[in-house]
Amino acid sequence: MADYDIEKIDDFRWRLPKTGGMRVPAILYATEDMLPDILSDDAPQQAKNVAHLPGIVKASLAMPDIHWGYGFPIGGVAAFDPDDGVISPGGVGYDINCGVRLMASKLTVDDLDRRSRERLVDHLFRRVPTGVGSSGAMRVDDAELQRVLQRGAEWAVNDGKGSQADLDVIEEHGRVGGADPDAVSGRARERGLDQIGTLGSGNHFLEVGYVSEILDERAARVMGLNKGTVTAIIHSGSRGFGYQVCDDALSDMDKAMKKYGIELPDRQLACTPIPSPEGQKYLAGMRCAINYAFANRQVMAHNTRLAFEDALDLSPREHGLFTVYEVAHNIAKFEKHTVNGSKQEVCVHRKGATRALPAGHPLVPGRYQKVGQPVLIPGDMGRYSYVLVGTDRAMEETFGSTCHGAGRQMSRRKARKTAGHRNITAELANEGIVVRGQSDRTVREEIPEAYKDVTDVVKAVEGAGISKAVAQLRPLGVIKG
Amino acid sequence: MARATPHWLHEIDHTADVGINVTAPDRNTLYERAALGTFGVLTDLTTVEERMSKKVTVEASDPERLMVRWLSELNFLHTTKHLLFSRFDVEVSGPDDALTLRAACHGEPIDRDRHPVYTEIKAVTYHDMKIQHHDNIWEVQVIFDL
Repeated sequence: MADYDIEKIDDFRWRLPKTGGMRVPAILYATEDMLPDILSDDAPQQAKNVAHLPGIVKASLAMPDIHWGYGFPIGGVAAFDPDDGVISPGGVGYDINCGVRLMASKLTVDDLDRRSRERLVDHLFRRVPTGVGSSGAMRVDDAELQRVLQRGAEWAVNDGKGSQADLDVIEEHGRVGGADPDAVSGRARERGLDQIGTLGSGNHFLEVGYVSEILDERAARVMGLNKGTVTAIIHSGSRGFGYQVCDDALSDMDKAMKKYGIELPDRQLACTPIPSPEGQKYLAGMRCAINYAFANRQVMAHNTRLAFEDALDLSPREHGLFTVYEVAHNIAKFEKHTVNGSKQEVCVHRKGATRALPAGHPLVPGRYQKVGQPVLIPGDMGRYSYVLVGTDRAMEETFGSTCHGAGRQMSRRKARKTAGHRNITAELANEGIVVRGQSDRTVREEIPEAYKDVTDVVKAVEGAGISKAVAQLRPLGVIKG
Repeated sequence: MARATPHWLHEIDHTADVGINVTAPDRNTLYERAALGTFGVLTDLTTVEERMSKKVTVEASDPERLMVRWLSELNFLHTTKHLLFSRFDVEVSGPDDALTLRAACHGEPIDRDRHPVYTEIKAVTYHDMKIQHHDNIWEVQVIFDL
């Protein structure tokens, strides 16, 4: 275990006190059982490094799924004063607005026998291109791309791919303002032309599953989730477009830091003052990437509906696939929060963390006003995922934020080694889970054992009171990039 | 690359991502091998034939930045033009604070039937990157965000 000076606050909260150049403490959310794993990684040091950034308010926060990232840890949350604070591309990540959409249907798990599951997953695999080398689900020209960057999911809905009902339940309604296509490089735009509607690779997936446990009857009912309901989860982001926006900004900021007299313990924490030209340029470009990711998921959601129709020979009315909610996992946004007893606007960075607003918050869609904003926590392809809701406690403590997933515990090579000569696809098929991956190697790298048990993460955030479990979902079929 | 890993290449275990450690007898070879290592992360290089060549030039103000720019340029060609390369002729010139890399990259467009594409690289990072040169051995470590 790395040698951290750590103070126990309670069973679910741990403080890394201010030392050296830290401006605020770092607070870690975890159960005692999770601590040895977390502390054996460099991630807590990264949470401490974040506390050095100018203008950070309250604390550098780390969710229980914290693990090592570039600059900021994954699972990191930090808020900055809009006048004196900084914006950091490393606090958002390369995959800007990587996020999750949950859809639910009128079908139940009993409606999907083995053959129809296979047919459905094969159709999804054809409709939703994965990884590099596949031509995109659609190709746009530069003028059309500019509209994508400014209008997000709304652009896709206007193109006949989805409806207003989808937009009503996407974080920010699927579109953020202040996106300026002139703020992004030609290289980023080129990477964006043929990747709309594509899943990507790594831990991104599209999963068909069902509701296996209801943990909060009332909230589940409001979300249209009954025991046995067939669901679809789409986990993906802004693809090459967003990666390039991040890369370009890191390079700009690396050069500009001297100008602003900012010295940091890690080059990947590169940041500039929010009001600076470099900060404003990144914000305008990041918002383009946020909208790109919203459009990308909307197109994939549309193609998921088409796959249900083709594979199962059902009309839209018969499958009834509707969007429950869509959340961003990698994002920076200006929000109002209480800091030192008074309400103020802050720039919240969430990197591998989820917004978790409580019931009654004005940004929670009308449908969820009484239960709180849905929070979607994907696990691994062999076990389960969770649906939670935000709480008042999250608003008070974590800038309305919670965890985002299980987090890997094995490197890809170790996962391949662990998989050995096993036929992972056949093993999962025996458990009723149909898997299609870009390659056999992809599937082996994504074996369930490569991930932590997401239940531990959910227990920690529930214990801390920063979100509340609503339902558990189990997979029936998965496509991996 | 999938069958026999060359002696100059080591994959670095990293929880969420992947890295390579490359050694070479001279500077040009270091940049060539780093490129080969990068494409070895993406595909099985033994399946990639030399059917076309592409010229690449990048400039940078230090050797690490030159490495990141070079590999990022190749990743850009891979993701936008869907190209795979299996051989590189690299020539690096200039002082350390004004370096130019000129390369001929040999390979072919991705053919789904012949090329397994393992993953995609989001970005080539500066994390822990340091180009070292001692006793006629050049060495670099590169971590990719996947």
